Amino acid sequence: MSEHDRPVRRFDPRQLPEFVPDAALWSRIAATQQQRLARRRWRTAGALGGAIAAALAIVVLVPSLRQPASEDRSTMQDQSRALEDEWTKLAGTHAPTIGTTRLRAIDAQLQAAYDRGAGMDELSPLWQQRNRALRGLIDGLRNGVVDRDDSITQI
Amino acid sequence: MNADQRRSGSLDRPLHGMADGQTSYVEAPPGGSGFGQTLDRVTLERARRGEMAAFAAIYERFAGACYTLALRVLGEPSGAEDIVQEVFLKMFATLRGFRGDAPFGAWLKRLTANATIDVLRSRQRFREDDVDALFEAMPASAMDAEDGVDAWSLLQRLPPRARAVVVLHEVEGYTHKELADLFGQSESYSKSILARALKRLGDEAAGTAGGRNDE
Repeated sequence: MSEHDRPVRRFDPRQLPEFVPDAALWSRIAATQQQRLARRRWRTAGALGGAIAAALAIVVLVPSLRQPASEDRSTMQDQSRALEDEWTKLAGTHAPTIGTTRLRAIDAQLQAAYDRGAGMDELSPLWQQRNRALRGLIDGLRNGVVDRDDSITQI
Repeated sequence: MNADQRRSGSLDRPLHGMADGQTSYVEAPPGGSGFGQTLDRVTLERARRGEMAAFAAIYERFAGACYTLALRVLGEPSGAEDIVQEVFLKMFATLRGFRGDAPFGAWLKRLTANATIDVLRSRQRFREDDVDALFEAMPASAMDAEDGVDAWSLLQRLPPRARAVVVLHEVEGYTHKELADLFGQSESYSKSILARALKRLGDEAAGTAGGRNDE
């Protein structure tokens, strides 16, 4: 009779037997674990694919999203250039002096904005102000509100 | 289940032929026994990276301890196997979070004890804090001499929750504070269960052994 089977007068936990599980248990656990690992790899691959797709979408979409702003600025700059040419033709040699105080102020603000690397949210309103000022000068000169001899005109 | 089955694993063959047939990473002989065995850093790191061979090595070393603890408390091989499966899958899933502050075996023992107590709790048919009801639910029985009076047989005559307290306190070294946390009860709760359980074990062992000696 072994130690484990010997009759005892008191309970001795040291005599409790050790056990090992069924031989097939590891196969079941390993199979489940491998399935989980496979699922995790698929999820990781899916997440990675999603991240790549998102990155590609950003690369593709962001420039196109930003394009209107660039186009707006470009358009405003073109408009400004055209208005300035028109203003110069109308005002002739007086162009630098007639009613250009506000225009110079706006130009100074624009230059300062570019110098500190300001974004479109700050530049666009300044370009709009510049175009409005030029259009006002042109209209004023055409309507006779601004005279070629005026030197200080706030428009 | 007879004594030979128990010692050989209650089932077919020893643990050492059981893993997936791959070479174990464990180079040094196991230190200690059961949950007291050590786990080398290389195996641990490889398991953290998800290598099945490392998982197999860990299983080979600790499955017996997990199964023994669960079986001693539950008394059912199928229930104990479910615990082992649950514990190892959970361990594999959370291994990255194991910081190594405590020995690996102690961490695994805690996972096993928690899972086992959860099973007991799910089977509870009486108020958890009523110690009298616990023992009344499984009254002491006059032991048949043919049943044998080995420690295993004695233990299985206790209610499951009392078995859990006896095994965790007397074998696995849990303190009453730890048992209180585990069961969500006061320390006096586990002290009371342990005292009554040990008294019943003593009474039954002495009574039956006397009976057999009288033959």
